[in-house]
Amino acid sequence: MLQILIQGLLLSGLYALIAVGFTLIFSIGRVLNLAYGAYLMIGGYSYFYFSQILGLPKIAGVAIAALIGVATGLLIYRLVVKTLKGDSVAIEIATLILAVVLQAGVVLLFGDASKILLPIIPGVVRVSGAAVTYNVLVATVASWVILISLYLFVRRTHMGRAMQAVSMDMKGAAISGIDPDRVNTVTWGISGALGAVAGVFFASYTQLYPGMWVSPLIIAVAVVIVGGIGSIIGTLIVAHIIGYMEVIVTSAVAPELRGVVTMVLIIGVLVLRPKGLFGREEL
Amino acid sequence: MSVKNITLAALMGSALAATSAYADIKVGFIGSLSSDTGLSTLRGAEMAIDEINAKGGILGEKVVLVKADTGEDVTEGVKAYEYLAETEEVDFVISGSIDDVSLAWLPRMIEYQIPTLDTWTSYVGIIDMVVEDPDAMAPYFMNIASDEALATLYINFGKDVLKEKMGWDSVVILAEDTAFGGAITGLVTDALAPVADIEVKDIITYDVGTVDFAPLFSKAQASGADFIYQISTVNSQVISSQYVKLQVPLAMTGVNVGAMGMEFWEDTGGAGGGISTLSPVPSVGFDMDPVSADFVEAYQARYTSRPMVPHFNGFNAYHGVKQALAAAEEAGGFGDVKAWSAAMEKQDLTLEKDGKLWLRYAYWGKDEVEPVTQRTYPHNGRFDLEAPYDTAQPSMVVVQWKEDGSVGVVYPFEYANTVYTLPSWVKE
Amino acid sequence: MNIRWYHLALWAAFIIGMIYLPQLVSKGTLRTIIFANYLAIFAISWDVLSGRTGYVSFGHPFLIGLGAYTTAILTKRFGVPVEISIPAAVLVTMVGGSLLFLPALRVRGSYFALVTLAFMELMYQLVQVIRPDLTGGTRGMSGIQTLTRGAVNGYYLSFGLMASLGFAMWLLMKTRLGTALSAIGMNEEAVRGSGLNTTKLKLAAFMLSAFVAGLGGAFYVHYLGSIAPRALFDINFVFTIIVAAILGGASTIIGPIFGAFFLTFLLEYLRPYLPGAERYFIYGGIALLLYMYEPKGLHHVLQMALSAIKGKSRS
Repeated sequence: MLQILIQGLLLSGLYALIAVGFTLIFSIGRVLNLAYGAYLMIGGYSYFYFSQILGLPKIAGVAIAALIGVATGLLIYRLVVKTLKGDSVAIEIATLILAVVLQAGVVLLFGDASKILLPIIPGVVRVSGAAVTYNVLVATVASWVILISLYLFVRRTHMGRAMQAVSMDMKGAAISGIDPDRVNTVTWGISGALGAVAGVFFASYTQLYPGMWVSPLIIAVAVVIVGGIGSIIGTLIVAHIIGYMEVIVTSAVAPELRGVVTMVLIIGVLVLRPKGLFGREEL
Repeated sequence: MSVKNITLAALMGSALAATSAYADIKVGFIGSLSSDTGLSTLRGAEMAIDEINAKGGILGEKVVLVKADTGEDVTEGVKAYEYLAETEEVDFVISGSIDDVSLAWLPRMIEYQIPTLDTWTSYVGIIDMVVEDPDAMAPYFMNIASDEALATLYINFGKDVLKEKMGWDSVVILAEDTAFGGAITGLVTDALAPVADIEVKDIITYDVGTVDFAPLFSKAQASGADFIYQISTVNSQVISSQYVKLQVPLAMTGVNVGAMGMEFWEDTGGAGGGISTLSPVPSVGFDMDPVSADFVEAYQARYTSRPMVPHFNGFNAYHGVKQALAAAEEAGGFGDVKAWSAAMEKQDLTLEKDGKLWLRYAYWGKDEVEPVTQRTYPHNGRFDLEAPYDTAQPSMVVVQWKEDGSVGVVYPFEYANTVYTLPSWVKE
Repeated sequence: MNIRWYHLALWAAFIIGMIYLPQLVSKGTLRTIIFANYLAIFAISWDVLSGRTGYVSFGHPFLIGLGAYTTAILTKRFGVPVEISIPAAVLVTMVGGSLLFLPALRVRGSYFALVTLAFMELMYQLVQVIRPDLTGGTRGMSGIQTLTRGAVNGYYLSFGLMASLGFAMWLLMKTRLGTALSAIGMNEEAVRGSGLNTTKLKLAAFMLSAFVAGLGGAFYVHYLGSIAPRALFDINFVFTIIVAAILGGASTIIGPIFGAFFLTFLLEYLRPYLPGAERYFIYGGIALLLYMYEPKGLHHVLQMALSAIKGKSRS
């Protein structure tokens, strides 16, 4: 029982970290960035290259991955999103194509073989029968720290309040003197960094391989659908619903049904409560 | 012979030479061009073809190689086979495809009847197709031991090492929810108790997309078994690396496709210590006979990118292409498929090491019954399931990666160069 | 109905040209065209639903897969003849289409796109878990009965199917139904306000799309002879279908046919020069650039070119 509690907490923390960057764009830019999964792929592979192949310190590896994530986010915003002038369906399709192109790029640079990331902090601790790696512990703590700082950033800073304003009413915000373009640029940059860092943790949990962008994208999509146009708190709550559901299904029901349950939840929520469990909330 | 006749013969000869230069023997490679698996087969085939061309080709013709990439995608596999058959019009196909891609293009092979050799796919279902319809499947050969043979010998590893040496009595099976996982689970479950006297405590089937294996390992531990039998081919690195990272206090052995290549250590950044897997031969850590050693040396002199050591299918392709071309020479080309197929069945290459049969590239006869499994394996590469492995090599070996990064064969003992050890975090 | 004589003449010329094509090109090219034909069918199916109504489907393989798996299982596992299994597959796909329709009653735009993606993922998971003895699980099925042998027959079958479905859908979209569906795509509220039953109209679009997808999927699997979940319920497959429809020109029916041919030939002609992963990189890159800078598609480019020529000849 305690074991499920701990394992659920750890997995949910990771899921929250994966989803939050996606939620941010959806909430502020009102578009679904289907290349979001590719941020995780880029982050994971950058970390692998700089810290595992070139042997830079791990923290530098994470920082470089985050920077590359920011650059990717900004490039996508400048070159794709702005060009398509906010046509949300066109952006979805363009980002989907982009994700496929980026996947081919990764195959070109690193090949098809899957790679395993070294734990960021090696070692393992046992809590009442459940083995917990320091790596996962770090991921969970980092995830909470990142989510809380993001929350504070959005609530307390000038930029954050501007983001809230744009998320609620783009035109209204523009009239009151906020530059939506600047807000969007910052948001896409932050989202890229969040995705890339989540990618480092996600890959250190699973593996690096060229198709790895799909499953975190599905997780992010699930969180956004179930939660509704996201608030940060909503993302956190829904990530825990999905994370715990997976752990309970895996350890107590039937492990092979893990993916099925998540998809049924998504479809059920969308059909019964299309605005999500939490509906339209403040960021 | 008059002067006139000699001139005529010379003329005809040069005419023949001219047409044959035009009508080269075309070999088509099908497989992924960006995976270690695909590249192993491709390079093995390239080296075999260059050697043969250096000796003047076959039937007076030069052999050329064309390639079609599958990207390990089944639909691309069908397209690639069609491309080889109809655009390139190849005479022979050498395949480094993975199982489901081979299954996808097989209906095309049956339609075109192009001689085809699989070097990686080991699905016994394809051999069953040869049994059921020998005419339609005449052009098909597989020179790796089929998965059923792999699993059978793997049970013996359980008996000889896990039961007798390690003293373990019970197992929990951790298997992926794929057709392969299901089939092997059935085989292992049925055979473990009667053959190896190991009790199966629990069978845990998991989804191949699982992110977090911690709950599964907890469940495995709770079953009270002595060790874990892992059966995973899809994303197999995830489960094994989480096993290492979580330091699960139970030994785990099983099928781990990722651990079959020399790059495993680099890819996992060293987090692969303690992992053991079955592998077809010659595997990583496998002692080489002189011929295979020369092949590896030539390979490394020629190719500088990964895989640094070809996987088993690279060896299969190297010898297999040579045998297929030799069979064509006997049958007068690839045109008469039945004749080629009959000549291919008779190919037999034995490689020895220190006076012992080490590797054999030959095929099972049509009606030849394998004594252990009591069934036939037509067009499947020969293997031996019983010590002392004097009719062919064993269908598989078990290799183990040690925590210091070395790797060696632990079973069968005739081929072993290290002993099976527990990872440091597992208490005996 | 806004049909001009030259529309029909163009269709006739296209069909006659394609009938004579096997005399002119190699078998390898025919094989490529067969894939283009099937991709065109899938893109037409996507276009009927998403090109017009704005209900963008990211899970079209869900429908295609239903059709393909139904007939594959019926013929391979139960020995049902194709004359029965293919209509059954189309029926099952239409039932699946009505399932997909449920969320469309309540959500649209991005949310709808996501729920269709979830449907596809669900199908991917279910095929592997539920009755793998029937579906073949992860490994899929091989040795499924094929309807034709040889490139020429396969070509005629696939082209006949594609051309009749394409022509039928094109005619249908020229009727008031098509106009109403386009109107839904522009402003659903307004259509409802004008007294039309949008639910019925949307249901019609879903059923038509499912019909085409089911038929296409069923014939496709009987052409391939094998099926595997990894290639079918795959986001790359979604990508190919949507890009074919959009590159060609969405909501035109003709456009997706162009798009499918363009994409298939692009990929195939890159093969000799870029045999490896570079091919997908270049291919995706070209698709992205074309989409970004010519979002109305090749159909529009051709129309512009045609009207430019007409303009010149008149002046």
